[in-house]
Amino acid sequence: MKNNQKIVIGDRILTKKELFEEEEFRKERAKLSFEEKIRQLIELQKLASSWGNKKDVIVWKVS
Amino acid sequence: MAVPAEAGITLLILSYTLKKTLEVINELKKEGLIKDYAIGGAIGALRWTQPFFTEDLDIFIILKKETKEKELITLSPVYEYLKKSGYIWKGHWIIVEGVPVDIFPVDELEKKAVEDAEKTEYEGTKTKVIKPEYLIALFLRASRDKDLRKIEMILNQTNVDREKLNEILNKYGLTEKFTNFRKRYYEK
Repeated sequence: MKNNQKIVIGDRILTKKELFEEEEFRKERAKLSFEEKIRQLIELQKLASSWGNKKDVIVWKVS
Repeated sequence: MAVPAEAGITLLILSYTLKKTLEVINELKKEGLIKDYAIGGAIGALRWTQPFFTEDLDIFIILKKETKEKELITLSPVYEYLKKSGYIWKGHWIIVEGVPVDIFPVDELEKKAVEDAEKTEYEGTKTKVIKPEYLIALFLRASRDKDLRKIEMILNQTNVDREKLNEILNKYGLTEKFTNFRKRYYEK
C-alpha cells in the first residue's frame, strides 16, 4: 500500500517525498561557495530592510 | 575594482566589503595584536549551511598574551587599533568596512575551535572558519532558540563527524544537553 502520510510544517503540508526533496535542495544550497552565500545573505539583508520593516538592519555594502 | 578588458570594454568586478573586513582582521594578526582568530556564529554556520539572514560577523580571537581564568581580559589594544584606523562603534558592534563585527576573546572550548578551524579563502583573502562539530558545541552551550535552530541546520545540511562531535561534547560536559536537544527537535 502506498504511504500517503503527510507532514505538517507551520502552515505547509508536505508528503514524505516532498520533504525529502526539500531537504536535498537545502543540502545542495549548503554546497554553494562562501562568496555566493554572502552575496545571497546581502540580498536577504536588503529584503529585511525594505520589506521586513526592519529599517535598522545594516546591509553589508558592496565596494 | 575596474579591470580593462581586451575589446576596450571595462569590466566592473564587484567586491563585497567582507573581503576588506577580513583583511583588517588579518592585519590584527600581522600587527601582533592577536595570535589567531576564526569566524564563528551565524557566518561560521552559514559556511556549512544554506544561506540565511544575519547581520553581524562574530570573530573569536586568541590574544597574544594568555590570560589566567580570573584575570581581567583586555581587548583595548585591539579596539584602539581599529578606532585609530577610523572604525566606529554602533551598539556592541564595531563597524569594520561596513560590516558589524563582534569580537570575542576565547575561552577553553573556543580556543580549541579556533585552533581546529578550517583554513579557507574569501575572494582570495585567507581566513579561518570554525568547523561544524565545534560550532554545534558552541551553539549548544549558548542554547538560545536561534542557536538551536542553527544546530539543526548544520546537522541536516552538512557532513558532521559524529565521533569528533561526541568527543567534544563529552570533553566539555555537553552530552546531556545534546541528548535533550535531539529529543526536543527530532522526537516530537
